[in-house]
Amino acid sequence: MNARPTVGAAATGMPSATAAEASPNTAARPPGHAGQPGGGPGSLATRQAGLVEALTSRNPVPDGFDAFRFEAARVALLRKRAGEVSRQWPMLAAGLGDGWHTMFAEWAATRPTQGSLRDGWDLARDLLARDALPRLAALELAEREAAMRYDGASSPKPRRTPALRFVAGAVVLQVAGRVRHLRS
Amino acid sequence: MAEAVANAVSGYGVGIGWRPEIAGFVAGLPGLRFTEVVAESVHADGDLPAGLAALLDRGVTVVPHGVRLSLGGADPVEPARVRQLAAAAERLHAPLVSEHIAFVRAAGIEAGHLLPLPRSWEAVDAMVANVKRVQAELPVPIALEPIAALFDWPDDELDEARFITEILDRTGAGLLLDIANVYANARNRGTDPLTLLDSLPLDRVAYVHVAGGAEHGGLYHDTHTSPVPQPVLDLVTELCARHRPPALLLERDGDYPPARALTAELDAIAAAAGSPRVTA
Repeated sequence: MNARPTVGAAATGMPSATAAEASPNTAARPPGHAGQPGGGPGSLATRQAGLVEALTSRNPVPDGFDAFRFEAARVALLRKRAGEVSRQWPMLAAGLGDGWHTMFAEWAATRPTQGSLRDGWDLARDLLARDALPRLAALELAEREAAMRYDGASSPKPRRTPALRFVAGAVVLQVAGRVRHLRS
Repeated sequence: MAEAVANAVSGYGVGIGWRPEIAGFVAGLPGLRFTEVVAESVHADGDLPAGLAALLDRGVTVVPHGVRLSLGGADPVEPARVRQLAAAAERLHAPLVSEHIAFVRAAGIEAGHLLPLPRSWEAVDAMVANVKRVQAELPVPIALEPIAALFDWPDDELDEARFITEILDRTGAGLLLDIANVYANARNRGTDPLTLLDSLPLDRVAYVHVAGGAEHGGLYHDTHTSPVPQPVLDLVTELCARHRPPALLLERDGDYPPARALTAELDAIAAAAGSPRVTA
């Protein structure tokens, strides 16, 4: 009954399905189907990695996919991310106004998400470095910088000590987790 | 197990997904029996999202709905994520949990969205292996939700119904049937949604998702940010005529309308399903 290989199980080091667990209608499964365990060319792991990489970069659409639909998915993904970041960073999105979605999509097209908190933070820092951070967003960034420690590579952590932050004219003081605007 | 999951929220009528932005609306629904919360927002320690505890206290069933396990990934599911889902189920005293037939990351890169699996035997095996790993840790049954996909993989080896059924058969998991996903996929592929409904094991449905979307550039996007369109309500009626699901749940994830619009949507779903209203 279970002569067919359990490819995923083999690839992941998990126990094989027992005959009792196999479904009654597996007879239609092609005999000798082997798949490619591990990360070999054509394996599920390799194909999934290629797909995610193409979706989160400007890499070409993987072979065999409908280019129009794949592009639609890429655009939808960027819109979804823009919505999530705008909820986490409302002043950043509001400060960019009508240009928000275009700006975010352009910035995020080659940057896979690190979560909406970090995505917004990275974008705000990039805009600050280019002198392009809107005034509203400067205050929001200053609040976050004062409240949390973010190294740009791992999850932000709450600061345990007081912090004073200057961002493009905004000044924010954090003491014992409470944030005060000294100048906005 | 399949029977347990199909009965977990039986007779609960129409619910709505709990989100912080509409917590007040959800709390104010007099007939509400069940809701769903994003599983990753519920932690073993620390406070529950504000408002959820009050719902639990009044006996509303809260189902943790995972979105980031990546059950269909080629890699084994991450143990910490499984523990978190199990802890959420215990914290909420949930009768079941749900997740997706999808993957969300590969080779360390987060896609940021639920992505479709190739309908291959290798993908079935990977999905089944991960679901079994999760089931070994969970205190309750799991229901699996097929997703809406804007694109398909080339070289499918199984059709959609067979792919889903194979995974359910080999895991004993329930089916979380998203009727809006059925609509979206059929519309975008130019197929008949009733053909899929007629091929799925409807007796395995644990509950049903209902949501709205919108068309952009010739494709229907299941955004959860628009009202439920009439064709999706019609499919609810078609589904109930074939096999009455234990419960239905409205998903809304943004562009939240005024309370009266959400009330009207819940009532429309109840009417389409022939269930009592939960709004009065």
